[in-house]
Amino acid sequence: MVDQRRLSPPFTARNVKLLIVFVCYICATVWSWLYIHMSFGGLFGGISDVLNLLARMLPPDFYQLSGIISATIETLWMALLGTTIAVLISFPLSFGAAKNTTPNRFVFAVCRGIITMTRAIPDLIFAAIFVRAFGIGPLAGILALGLHSIGMIGKMFADALENADAMPREASESTGASKWQAIFSSILPQATPTMIGTALYRLDINVRASAVLGLVGAGGIGFIIQSALRSLDYPSALAAVSVIFIVILAIEFFSSRVRASILGERSASVVVVRGQSDRAVRRTRKDRTLLVDAVTMRSLVPPMTSDRKSRIISVWVYVIMLAVALGTINMPIFSSFAYFDDAWRIVTQLVPPDFSTARSELITGMSESIAIAFISTTLGLFIAIPLGLLSSRNIVVRKAVFVGTRSMLVVLRGIPELIIAVLFVSAMGLGPVPGTLALTLVTAFFMSKLIADTFEEVDPSPREAIFATGATRIQELFGSVLPQAMPALVSQILYMLDVNLRSSTVLGIVGGGGIGFLLLGSIRVFEFGTTGAVVLSIFVVVYAIELIGSWVRGVLEKAN
Amino acid sequence: MSLNRFNQQADPIVRLSDISKRFPNGTLALDQVSLEIPRGQLLCLIGLSGSGKSTLLRHVNGLHKPTSGSVDVMGMRVSEASNKDLREVRRHVGFVFQQFGLINRATCLENVLSGALGRLNWPRFGVRSYPKQLRRLAFDHLDRVGLADQAYQRADTLSGGQMQRVAIARSLMQEPQMLLADEPVASLDPESSGQVLELLLKIAKEENMTVICTLHQVELAMGWAHRIVGLRAGKVVLDRSAVGLDQRDVMDVYQRVDVTGAPTSGEDVPASISNS
Repeated sequence: MVDQRRLSPPFTARNVKLLIVFVCYICATVWSWLYIHMSFGGLFGGISDVLNLLARMLPPDFYQLSGIISATIETLWMALLGTTIAVLISFPLSFGAAKNTTPNRFVFAVCRGIITMTRAIPDLIFAAIFVRAFGIGPLAGILALGLHSIGMIGKMFADALENADAMPREASESTGASKWQAIFSSILPQATPTMIGTALYRLDINVRASAVLGLVGAGGIGFIIQSALRSLDYPSALAAVSVIFIVILAIEFFSSRVRASILGERSASVVVVRGQSDRAVRRTRKDRTLLVDAVTMRSLVPPMTSDRKSRIISVWVYVIMLAVALGTINMPIFSSFAYFDDAWRIVTQLVPPDFSTARSELITGMSESIAIAFISTTLGLFIAIPLGLLSSRNIVVRKAVFVGTRSMLVVLRGIPELIIAVLFVSAMGLGPVPGTLALTLVTAFFMSKLIADTFEEVDPSPREAIFATGATRIQELFGSVLPQAMPALVSQILYMLDVNLRSSTVLGIVGGGGIGFLLLGSIRVFEFGTTGAVVLSIFVVVYAIELIGSWVRGVLEKAN
Repeated sequence: MSLNRFNQQADPIVRLSDISKRFPNGTLALDQVSLEIPRGQLLCLIGLSGSGKSTLLRHVNGLHKPTSGSVDVMGMRVSEASNKDLREVRRHVGFVFQQFGLINRATCLENVLSGALGRLNWPRFGVRSYPKQLRRLAFDHLDRVGLADQAYQRADTLSGGQMQRVAIARSLMQEPQMLLADEPVASLDPESSGQVLELLLKIAKEENMTVICTLHQVELAMGWAHRIVGLRAGKVVLDRSAVGLDQRDVMDVYQRVDVTGAPTSGEDVPASISNS
């Protein structure tokens, strides 16, 4: 039955679904392009405007240095306090939101609900609302970071609990331990390394986030950048940007080192430095002596090995930093409780949301945000693929090329997206185009790392096989690397779309187009009903994109 | 007489009356099982994987509840006990698992200490959260299984045999009346299997503990057990004193063909085979 053979792939339900998703994505991008009147002329004109602005910024002028430094320190303390608040709330919450520890379905639903809500509403929006309630200053920023971070921290904590091995718990319960004794002594110790890693990672993210909270008056260095740009003092703005930029890079480096040592993985850079240095050997030897002494003396407290020592030191460093942060930050801690009445009043005004007053602005703003998200994801992808290829070590043969590209990307990723947006808006004027451009760049920087990681994970054996048939390098790339990387790539695009949608809802706060403009406006004129409507719409749209994303991922994972 | 009066000295220490267990997925794991186990007996459960041995053990300390029938342990009706009563029973019943059930990241000492949780009130986290006299006791128990020198090592740095010995020390921490062991040596190499089993029995005899142990290795079981109970498809198919038990009876449990070549299963031989 030779003539009955199919010569093209069958239309399975999965393939049809994926085709529909692909067509919808293309249509959405085209619609977006038309909706915000993008053009390549405008794009390249915009780039030259930005370059002009950068030229006017040079050289940076550090005459405000003391102000910049104190604002930077405030930014760091805000991130530290915000993350601490989020961890304190997330910890109990995660026990309710993990399937294996939750008391019942109702508690589970409530905890998961809180986590989803706080994740969907961007921190800058929380900050803009809190500035109205608690006044201009770091308190609003800290609370905004604290609340928004629950979304990620709570979810990761709950996942860590769910991923714990259930055997030790069964063993513990069969010794007569109560449910919570068993959870604390057998589930929690398994989850703590992930929990600490998550908290540090979030601290890292929050340093970036708190650098821009000043744009809405919520404290930190963002305020200095904003006012320097407004007064056309570009060299001073660049000085502030470069200081926070260096601090962010330093923190990222530090936190990734600490995380790697906690999770027992050594990052690539550490491996080179290590080897077996004399100090390491001496430390191991000393640890061994301590362990032997402890057991021969029947010591009832664990011995002070180097691991334990560094753990205790880290805890103390954290406690001291927390104390310094609370002591020095310009924030009336106790009298601020008085503001909670104001805050509560605003919350009550947010509901019921008022969709009618600014109906058309709401629709155009939301459409604009969605359009910005689609265009910047697509354009960013086009830039990210070549960058990603250039920075994968298994594709580019020359070491200098991928190391160079990788380091450049690491540095560029250090700049918070809203700072890029602020610069672009000052160069090109208000509107969605500078916002889109800023998000495009951020997408490109971020995504090229994801893409490079994916490429580096592909199985080398099919590549070799295809090479062996006499294929060229490009044929081999399309024939073996791309098919292997495709599912991961698609889910990264969905992820970026999700991230960009969240970002595009706040771009308007700095004049970069989208619904953020209406949000800030409604807060300024005390129309909190409209604010509520905006927040609710953002939540619905972000949540919808997340659901669509997880549906597509589910379809992708099916075999056919 | 109240059914639910906990009595450590009760004899028989375990009484299973007609218990059946059907899992939510429809599998009938235990079918009308009745057993009485006198105090101090060393009982070995044998049978194929999936014959219900582990399920039966888990009924004794209330990790599973029977679909019908009743389980009494030390005078307590475990099958209907409240959570609080269940914990009371479990405190006096040690459980040794095939996969050890240790917290890999925690030190051996902390793992042993967790055996004392049933006697303590609050959740504990870390060695220092346990009272000093318990830490001293934990050291003694580690000593008894020969691992005091590893007290401050992480559990996942040990070999399989050492891990199971830590798990035994954790059970000792409970000061149990009875020990349930679920394939305690199935994940170990032959040499450490022998050592671990020997240690388990030595301790059980010294403390006059009742032991219910499931085992795959029948030869090992015959050497020490007072009584052998065989399960097949959730039914008791063998219940005898180990003395005078011959290989053939035991093999019957496994439905194997024995050395003489005659099929020993109760089922009829298919006609096509007997004709040929």
